[in-house]
Amino acid sequence: MKEKIKSIIESIGLPRIIIFLFLVLLFILTPFVGIRFDTSINDVIIRFSMNGILVLSLVPMVKSGCGLNFGLQLGIIAGLLGAVISIEMELTGFAGFFTAIGIAIFFAVVLGFLYGILLNKIKGDEMVVATYVGFSSVAFMSIMWLILPFKSPNMIWAYGGSGLRTAISNEDYWIHILTNFFQINIGSHINFPTGTILFFALLSYLVWAFFRTKIGTAIATTGSNSNYAKSCGINVDKMRVISVILSTVLSAIGIIVYQESFGFIQLYMAPLYMPFPAIAALLLGGASVGKASIKNVIIGTFLFQAILTMTPSILNNIIQSDMSEAIRMIVSNGMIVYALTRVVKVR
Amino acid sequence: MRKRIIIRTALVAALILIGIFLYAIGKEHKVLIDNRDISVGDITYSASTTYVVWVDNQEIGVIKKGERNAAIAIGISHKIVVEEIKSNVLTGEKHEKRFRLKTNESTTINIPAMINNANEWINKTN
Amino acid sequence: MKKQSLTKTMNPGVQFLINYAVPIIFTILVAFAIPLSGLSNEYLVREIMTRLSRDSFLILALLVPVMAGMGMNFSIVLGAMAGQIGLIFITDWQIIGLPGVLLALLISTPIAILLGYIAGIVLNHAKGREMVTGFMLAFFMNGIYQLVVLYGMGNIIPISNSRILLPRGYGIRNAISLVDIRQVLDKLIPLKIGGILIPVVTLLVIAALCVFIIWFKKTKLGQEIRIVGQDNDVARISGINVERTRILSIVISTVLACYGQIIFLQNIGNMNTYGGHSQVGVFAIAALLVGGATVAKANIPNVFIGLILFHTMFVVSPRAGRALMGQAQLGEYFRVFVSYGVIAFSLALYAWRKRVEKENERKKIMNYRKAFSQSSNTTGGNKF
Repeated sequence: MKEKIKSIIESIGLPRIIIFLFLVLLFILTPFVGIRFDTSINDVIIRFSMNGILVLSLVPMVKSGCGLNFGLQLGIIAGLLGAVISIEMELTGFAGFFTAIGIAIFFAVVLGFLYGILLNKIKGDEMVVATYVGFSSVAFMSIMWLILPFKSPNMIWAYGGSGLRTAISNEDYWIHILTNFFQINIGSHINFPTGTILFFALLSYLVWAFFRTKIGTAIATTGSNSNYAKSCGINVDKMRVISVILSTVLSAIGIIVYQESFGFIQLYMAPLYMPFPAIAALLLGGASVGKASIKNVIIGTFLFQAILTMTPSILNNIIQSDMSEAIRMIVSNGMIVYALTRVVKVR
Repeated sequence: MRKRIIIRTALVAALILIGIFLYAIGKEHKVLIDNRDISVGDITYSASTTYVVWVDNQEIGVIKKGERNAAIAIGISHKIVVEEIKSNVLTGEKHEKRFRLKTNESTTINIPAMINNANEWINKTN
Repeated sequence: MKKQSLTKTMNPGVQFLINYAVPIIFTILVAFAIPLSGLSNEYLVREIMTRLSRDSFLILALLVPVMAGMGMNFSIVLGAMAGQIGLIFITDWQIIGLPGVLLALLISTPIAILLGYIAGIVLNHAKGREMVTGFMLAFFMNGIYQLVVLYGMGNIIPISNSRILLPRGYGIRNAISLVDIRQVLDKLIPLKIGGILIPVVTLLVIAALCVFIIWFKKTKLGQEIRIVGQDNDVARISGINVERTRILSIVISTVLACYGQIIFLQNIGNMNTYGGHSQVGVFAIAALLVGGATVAKANIPNVFIGLILFHTMFVVSPRAGRALMGQAQLGEYFRVFVSYGVIAFSLALYAWRKRVEKENERKKIMNYRKAFSQSSNTTGGNKF
């Protein structure tokens, strides 16, 4: 019996168990510190819906053996371009939302393709190079946001300065378009974001189904053993590029969904560190550098967002100070360090 | 093996001592200087005139009758020099005193008492 | 067996260009930007002089882990944190002048050793992924640092100087003035040449570190580190404790980074408590790579060439950006882009070259095997 418990702990991983127990503790404490339980759950669900797709986007690249997508910013940039161009075209409602996605997909495919080719040339060192490619692309786009010829008065600086504003509100365009879609309201405190959750479920299903197709299984084979895949006649390089394009497209969609819920399109340096919470969430859900599934996405995003939401509100009431930033850094980055130090599988 | 432990402990001890030494000679102390009347027992030393003050060879400034000024002293041993000013002219009458400050002490110096070589010219507090 | 590589099959000119692609591109960029910025040569020389004395110690700290084959050590940030904690304490205790700086060095050393030790252990568990892990570890430690400095200090850790505490009573302020130790090291032996202050002692300290590094490479430990860097397995067979050596190299690097950050801060004169250390890693590594170093090889000239090139670009970018596009902000983003871009490009180039060389090695072995099996083809093509 003791052996069994020990092996379960080892396979789940001690940090995950600690975090889970910490979360349970937080939930138990909710009523004692004067916070409504249903509001908390509602917040967590909304944040889950906002971030889910971004975490989902990491899965294809893990499956193909490209590792954790530290270059998530590339897909985010594609999404930002889509959103911004859609607003420039003065489109609102679902038309604006889906145009944003459409344009974003276009850019994401192009960027993903280039990114995939780069990663193919550096097999084995993808993660560290991706990190810096991601960073420099955000800085590069910052320059672009300043000089690209956008004219919409909602987006450029008020006093005739050049370039886009740091954060653009999509209030008049497509804010909450999904969230309010068939929104279920229970009582005065629960607003269930049906639309967003449905959209996330749809994309998750599509990803799951994709990996059951011929190409999908080829990609997964490439990830688990590239030599075996080669001997089966699979074009390993091509599979990797496809997985990178898929990841980039998903992350482009993901950031647009995030924005429709958040209410703002954040440009310039905002996307700089965005890969890390997503990666941490995926790892928290049980994934590793070489293995990821939809189950990891759902569990991980939920746990991670729960910690992020619950910690500040509860800690603030107990300790009278805002430790959430430090806790967030420790949990998020600690998870990633933990995952990176797990035994490296032989390639 | 034992030799290594001894050498290492000695090294650590030396470093700690150096640390304490640096702490002592680098510590900043607040020195308050009063040019006010002070009563000691039955005797009262009164402040009569203005003085210009140096602490550790750095000029602090002029302290008129009844005033107080402050100086920063760094380290352990210090010197204070006051020169009398009567009717806006330096009279050349100087008084000098040395004092030591332990690491956590700050102090108040009273000029009238100091000039009269009373023991209570300096008052140290933690 | 003669080692054949992609670069060696080309003529030496092309080989030089590929090996030193990064510094060459950078020099061209800088050469364009200097006249654009409109800054005088004298100003530039003065700035570079200051930055040389201020930043080289930190970059030199990066050399040892490269020797040990651990790549660019992003966890020098941990050393910087240790140094800052030391400075917080001496500011709290109000120790000023040279004794203040020396005391800061003294008390931050054990902290740096501890942090370096932790980093070394973590990195040993992530062989082959040291750089990413080091990078994430630095972020993680930042969270711990915040816990300690923003919540612990004034609470659990006694701080008496209210000037450095936040109004709420605990936690250190965002910016602390280090005016009492400002340029203490720099001005220790004052020397002015043509109106420019030369920080003699600081430069001597840097020179001493360079000498130390050169000497260190020749010591037994230094040799062991280099063998570990070349090939872990060979080192193990030779009886070297690979894990311990790797940890040691990180500890040394962290302690040096700690001192480097103290030297840096005493020059600037005030400390950005929560942001001061974050960019340290990126800028130091970018500078080193700009100087022509790679993940596997870095030497002292790389440090100084890189520092001069990188910091010139740094100083020149905002003005050049304004001249080029009418916005200084553009120059600032350009700076960031170049810093990260240089690292991305260097790392990618190195990773690509490494793969190509491995591929060529493999092909050579296959060719040999083929030739061998053909020449001894008595039994009709044995598979090896």
